Amino acid sequence: MVSEEIWILIEIFLFPGFLFLFSLAFFTEWFDRKIVARFQNRYGPLHVGPKGILQPIADFFKLLSKEDITPRAADKVPFRLMPILLLTLAIAPLFCIPIMGSNGLISFEGDLVLIMFIMSLMALLVFIGGWASTNRFGTIGSIRAGLQMFAYEIPMNLSMIGPAISAGSLSVSKIVEWQINGVWNVLIQPVGFAVLTICLMAHLQRIPFDIPEAESEIVGGWLVEFSGKKLALIRLANDFEFVLASSLMASLFLGGPYGPWYISLITYLAKFLLCAFILSNLRAAFARYRIDHLLTGAWKYLTPLALLQVCLIKAWGI
Amino acid sequence: MTFEIPFGPQHPALEEPINFMFKIEEERVIDVKTRLGYVHRGIEKIAESRNYQQLVYLSERICGICSFAHTLCYSQTVEELLGLEVPERAKFIRTILAEMERIQNHYLWLGLTAKEMGFETLFMYAWRDRETIIEMLDMISGKRVNYGVNTIGGVRRDIAESTIERIEKSLEYLEKRAEHYTRVCTKDPSILKRTVGVGILRPREARALCAVGPTARASGIARDVRADEPYAAYGEIPFKVVTYRGCDVASRMYVRIDEIKESIRIIRYALKKMPEGPIRVKVPTRVPEGEAVSRVEAPRGENLHFLKSNGSDKPERWKIRAPTLANLLSLCRMLIGVNLADVPVVIAGIDPCIACAERVALIDAKTKRREIWDGKDLWRYANEWYRRKYGF
Repeated sequence: MVSEEIWILIEIFLFPGFLFLFSLAFFTEWFDRKIVARFQNRYGPLHVGPKGILQPIADFFKLLSKEDITPRAADKVPFRLMPILLLTLAIAPLFCIPIMGSNGLISFEGDLVLIMFIMSLMALLVFIGGWASTNRFGTIGSIRAGLQMFAYEIPMNLSMIGPAISAGSLSVSKIVEWQINGVWNVLIQPVGFAVLTICLMAHLQRIPFDIPEAESEIVGGWLVEFSGKKLALIRLANDFEFVLASSLMASLFLGGPYGPWYISLITYLAKFLLCAFILSNLRAAFARYRIDHLLTGAWKYLTPLALLQVCLIKAWGI
Repeated sequence: MTFEIPFGPQHPALEEPINFMFKIEEERVIDVKTRLGYVHRGIEKIAESRNYQQLVYLSERICGICSFAHTLCYSQTVEELLGLEVPERAKFIRTILAEMERIQNHYLWLGLTAKEMGFETLFMYAWRDRETIIEMLDMISGKRVNYGVNTIGGVRRDIAESTIERIEKSLEYLEKRAEHYTRVCTKDPSILKRTVGVGILRPREARALCAVGPTARASGIARDVRADEPYAAYGEIPFKVVTYRGCDVASRMYVRIDEIKESIRIIRYALKKMPEGPIRVKVPTRVPEGEAVSRVEAPRGENLHFLKSNGSDKPERWKIRAPTLANLLSLCRMLIGVNLADVPVVIAGIDPCIACAERVALIDAKTKRREIWDGKDLWRYANEWYRRKYGF
């Protein structure tokens, strides 16, 4: 009885709960930075820890210790709440992702819908945060963030529904189980996987879709007024979003964890890193698109392709 | 919804302080006002208290990137006043260094423009390759930025036989890279999307607004001082003036990449045909009374120096017209109707160098009368202002 409770506490706080997720988030940031740096013929983080692996943690603590400014004109309550909410919302869906074994920490029928809902909420929070800062660049950035959401949200959700249809369940764990018994979804739904990858790049606001931040155009966009602790939390939330995106790709399309307990963790991490590598690789290969390019592209190509994928699944009955 | 968006004087996309006030309607620029004057250094005024030899060093510091073009232009002006003939070998060395500077500048520009487009990888690659040419300049002159090679009556440093081989080797590498960038910039869809049809400057407008350098050449106007009025050794070297007819940022990019290749050809030819002989002649410290103008094709466009001497060892007036100043008018034309997202790319398109362009000019807002003040006027105005304000 008591030992079971301790076991649950360990699961929530150590593994695969908070401690593991935080380490994974920091590690992923390091991985991303290092990969992109190698693509750009640079070294990337080098000094803190072996090969600079502790650099993201150092950056996080440095930002925490910096002066935290709230502009006088800002709408104070949403401005202060936004980073905290963003971080919370970024961590929450990760508990539904199966990391070791085929069950997530929290798993129920319909958790995929919850994940989609939370991802939409995060995009809205970005809009609110930029708007509440009342900076001119922030306002433009948040308008762009809202427009961007209209572009990628529908194809992203459609392409996430694809695996759910073929598995006949709206639970991420069930989808993973179905793939273990059948085939990986990426083999039968390659178009859906491609659409999801592109949409996740837009959701994460990474080059070529870093339009709402666009440092060289609008000086950081919605992020411009955030500093110190708020910025640290937002950056950490971005890392968690990156973890979530790679995990979603890995578990919905690549079969997620597989095998007995420690082997399943290794397979999960391998697939996770592969997806993170794909996302990082794409980041290094493009110039930034304009918001109108993204909107026309998303509605002309991504949405029809995602719809086509869903139709094909229904037609083939798989 | 109409917004007013300030762009600069401090902005991540601008290395130098200039202020643009954009009126934005749904991300589209409908009006733009520029404001200069943040880095006015009074170089022309300082010049009146220095002698001609010292001014070589001052002219080198007008601009960090086209430092050689400015010293070349200045030296040519003084040489013209003195009626001096520069040794042939010096002329060839000047040509070689001027072209090396052009390559260096164009790689820098390519990187910066890529950064404005949000293409970090191309930025890193272009700047890595720029390092090669900077090392060559370092090897010849001993410095990476302000080379200190030009002087009145020739050059201070010779290009040794032993270095030529290394220069050839690095030129080969740079040519290969330039080919690669041509391929990337004509094929990559994300670059094409951001540059083709952006920041249009029609040939008629370019001519009317006196655009210079690559900006004019990208609008199909074959305007190049090297060909129109050859100086240094350009008269003896065959080369073609690169022009494109696209009138947009993409054309400005292709013009510059092709100019890199053309410069490499010029350097190769000059290294082969360089005559033996002295590299400088002795010059007197005093310059006879007179006026002279010299034009040089700097990497960014036409560079103009005017010098008026009064027979002493100091000039009476030295006027510099850097290419950025000539291109600012065209820039304001290009910016109207552009999407806000394209503003940095368009501004970068003319390769602005603000510090070169700063002059004091006062414009009366009511009468639109423009007057130029010199130091005496400023001094008088400052005194009056304080007298009025504090009753001194």
